[in-house]
Amino acid sequence: MSDLVESLQAFHKIASSPKEQLKNYLAQDKKVVICAPVYTPEEIVHAMGIIPFGTWGADIEIKEAKTYFPAFICSVMQSVLELGIRGDFEGASAIIIPSLCDSLKCLGENWKSSVENIPFIPMVYPQNRKADFGKAFTKAGYERVIADLEKATGLSFDDAKLKASIEIYNEHNDVMRQLSDCLNDYPEITAVDRNAIFQSAFYLEKSEHTALVKGLISELTKTEKTKSNKIKIVTTGILVDAEDLLKILDDNDIQIVADNVASESRQYHVDAKPAETGLDSLAGKFADMDNCSVLFNVDKAIAQYTVDLVSKYQANGVVFVITKFCDPEEFDYVMIKKACEEKNIPLLLVEIDRQMTNYEQVRTAVETFKEILK
Amino acid sequence: MSNEVKKKSPPDPNSAKFKLGKIATDAYVDAQAAKDRGEMIGWCSSNFPVEIPETLGLAVCYPENQAAGIAARGGGERLCNISEDDGYSNDICAYARISLAYAKTKDAPEQNMPAPDFLLCCNNICNCMIKWYENLAKDLDIPMIIIDIPFNPDYEVSDAQVAYVKAQFLEAIKQLEELTGKKWTEEKFQEVMEYSGRTSRAWLAATSEAKHTPSPFNGFDLLNHMAVMVTARGKKEAAEAMEVLHKEYLENVETGNSTFRAEEKHRIMFEGIACWPYLRATSTGLKSRGINMVTTIYADAFGFIYDDFDGMVKAYCNVPNAMNLENARDKRVKLIKANHVEGLLVHTNRSCKLWSGFMAEMSRQISAECEIPHVAFDGDQADPRNFSEAQYETRVQGLTEIMESKKGGC
Repeated sequence: MSDLVESLQAFHKIASSPKEQLKNYLAQDKKVVICAPVYTPEEIVHAMGIIPFGTWGADIEIKEAKTYFPAFICSVMQSVLELGIRGDFEGASAIIIPSLCDSLKCLGENWKSSVENIPFIPMVYPQNRKADFGKAFTKAGYERVIADLEKATGLSFDDAKLKASIEIYNEHNDVMRQLSDCLNDYPEITAVDRNAIFQSAFYLEKSEHTALVKGLISELTKTEKTKSNKIKIVTTGILVDAEDLLKILDDNDIQIVADNVASESRQYHVDAKPAETGLDSLAGKFADMDNCSVLFNVDKAIAQYTVDLVSKYQANGVVFVITKFCDPEEFDYVMIKKACEEKNIPLLLVEIDRQMTNYEQVRTAVETFKEILK
Repeated sequence: MSNEVKKKSPPDPNSAKFKLGKIATDAYVDAQAAKDRGEMIGWCSSNFPVEIPETLGLAVCYPENQAAGIAARGGGERLCNISEDDGYSNDICAYARISLAYAKTKDAPEQNMPAPDFLLCCNNICNCMIKWYENLAKDLDIPMIIIDIPFNPDYEVSDAQVAYVKAQFLEAIKQLEELTGKKWTEEKFQEVMEYSGRTSRAWLAATSEAKHTPSPFNGFDLLNHMAVMVTARGKKEAAEAMEVLHKEYLENVETGNSTFRAEEKHRIMFEGIACWPYLRATSTGLKSRGINMVTTIYADAFGFIYDDFDGMVKAYCNVPNAMNLENARDKRVKLIKANHVEGLLVHTNRSCKLWSGFMAEMSRQISAECEIPHVAFDGDQADPRNFSEAQYETRVQGLTEIMESKKGGC
C-alpha cells in the first residue's frame, strides 16, 4: 500500500468513527468538550488543555429529538440533539453552542432538558461585530464561556496558553487552505476523500490534524501532478458531507476545486492576528469574518465572493448545497443565484437533509448539470 | 353567561376599537404624506425601538404589519408565489416572502405602503429578520441600520449586553441624524418616553382585566391591538386609545358585558402569532365551543415600563423570542395563573423557527407547573398552504374534552 493511500485511509478512518475518537481521548484521561457549529471558540477550549470535539450531527434517523423540535428545523440541529440524547457524547464535560441562527438558539434551549448530564455552555456572538463595542461584546461572551468551562471541568484558563493555542489554530488554518489548493492539482483525490480530510479535523486535536494534513500534502507533492479532465466546480452551503452526494459528483467526474462551505473552508478563511491579549486577538478574528450566511453583511458580499472563487479557480460552475430548512442559506441563495446569472456562471441547487436515503433525484440533476457544463 | 356586546355600525369614533384601528391605518397615511412632502421614510422591523424614529420625527411603516394585513385579506399566497419564483424557498418566513415580493412589485391592493428610503432592522425577535432586511437593502439599494439584540441564554440581561445594545442605539441615532437631517432632542425623547409609559401601563391594566370571570374581552382583540403597542407606543394618540380600552373593559366588568360573544365555558392561553389567513376559522373553532382565549404572551410582553435611556435599552433586550426558555416559561405561567387559564393552545408556526423551536418543551413545563392540558396545531402566520382546518378542529376538540373532563363533565 502506498504512503499516499495509507495517509488518505487515516482521514477516512477518523471521519467515519467520531464515537471511537471520543472514547480514545476519554481513555487517555483527557477532558473533552463538544463544539457545536458554527465558529465555536475552539482555541479557548484547547488552551485549557481540553479536547475541542466538533459535531455537525450525523446522517441518522431522528427519533427522540422530534419530541423537542418541530419537523421544520434543520437536520443538523435535530441530529446533534439526537446524538446527545442517545448518548453518543457520553463522557464529554460540556457542549458549547453558539447562537448565530434561530435554530441554534433552540438547540441550546432544548439541550438543557434533554441531555442533562452534559452542561450547555452558550456562546453569544454579536452581529455588529466589527465596531469596538461589538468586539467588547464578543470578548465578554468568551469570558462567560471560560467561566462555564472552568466550572464544568475544574481546569483553569491562562491567556498566555491561549496565545499558544491561537498559533496552533492559525497554522491549521493555513495548512487547510494549502490543502484545498493543492488538491486541485491531483484530481484523483475524490470528493469523498476531500470531505474525509475536512471532516476529520473536527475529531482530532488540531496539531495532530495539522501533522496528518502536512503529511498528505508531502505525499501528494512527491507524485506528479495530473492533468485534470474533470469538470471543476465550486461548492457553497452549510454542509456537504453526505457520502451519497459526493459519490454522485465523483461518478460524474466532477472535481471540487474550491468551496465556501461552513463546515469546510469557511472556518479557515480568517486567522487571529496578534493583539494585547489572546482574547482580544480572538475577538478580532471574529470581527474579521465574513462571506457567511449567519454573519450580517448588508452588501451581501457572499455573492461576489462566490463569483470570485469561480474566477480564481477557473471553475465551470457552482453547486449550491442547501441543508433543508436552513433559512440563512435560503436567503443568500437568491443573491448568489443573481450574481452567477449576471456572470453567466451555471449554478445547480441541491437540497439535502441528514435523513435522506435516496439521492437518485440529485443524481439526475447532477447529470443534467454536467451536460450543461460540457 | 356574559351579555353580548352588539356590533355597532358604523363604529363609535370614541370607542377604543375605532381609535386603535385609526392609529394603525394612519401609520400608512402619515408615511405617505411624509413621502409626498419629500421627507425620507423608513421600513421598520416590529421590535426595533420605536422611540428612535418617534423622537427623531421620522415616519416609518412596518412590513410585518403589512404582510399580516395582506395575508388576512387573502393575498398571502399570491405574494409568496412571486418570491418563490425568484428562488426563495417556501420554508422561509411567509412575512419575509410577502415583503420581498412587495418590494419587487410595489403594489398589493390588500395593503399598499410607500417605498422606503432606509431600513431599520432589529433582530430581537429573530435572526431571520437580518437576512430579510439584508436582501431588501440589496434589492432596493438603500441604507440598512441594524440594532443587534442577541438572544439571551440567561435569565437576567447582562451588563455586557446592555452596554453592547446601548452603543448600537446611540450609533443608530447618529446614523439616522446624518442620513435624514433630523435631530434627536432630550426634550422630545422625554415626551415619547412618557407616552410610551402611559400606553404600556394602560395596556397592562386592560389585559389584566381577563382575571375576571367571565373575561370582559375576547382575547383575539389583543392580536389586533398589539400592532399599536408595537409600532405606536410613543404616540399621544396611542396612550389615549389604550386608556379608553382599559376604561371599556372596566365597564364591561361592572356590567357583565364582554367582547367575547358567547358563553365563556373555558378559558385558554393562545401561543404564537395568529394564523392571519384563517382568523375566522381559528376564532370560530374556539367560540363555537365556548372557549375564550383570555391571554397571550403579548399581554405581558409589550408593557414597556422604563424610566430612562438605559432602562429602555434593557426593556428591548427582554422581549419574547430574545429570552431563554425558563424566563419565557415563567412569564407565561404568571399570565396563566393570574387569568385562571384552563388550557394552552399552541400554534406551531411554520414561518417562525425560533418561536416554535423550543415551544414543545416549554409547553410541557408550563403544563406541569400549572396543571393544565396543552395541544398544538400546525399553521402559518401568512402562508395559507400550511394550515389544515380539519387538524385545527380535531386538536381544539381534544383540548376541549380534556378541559371538560377536568371540570368533571362528560
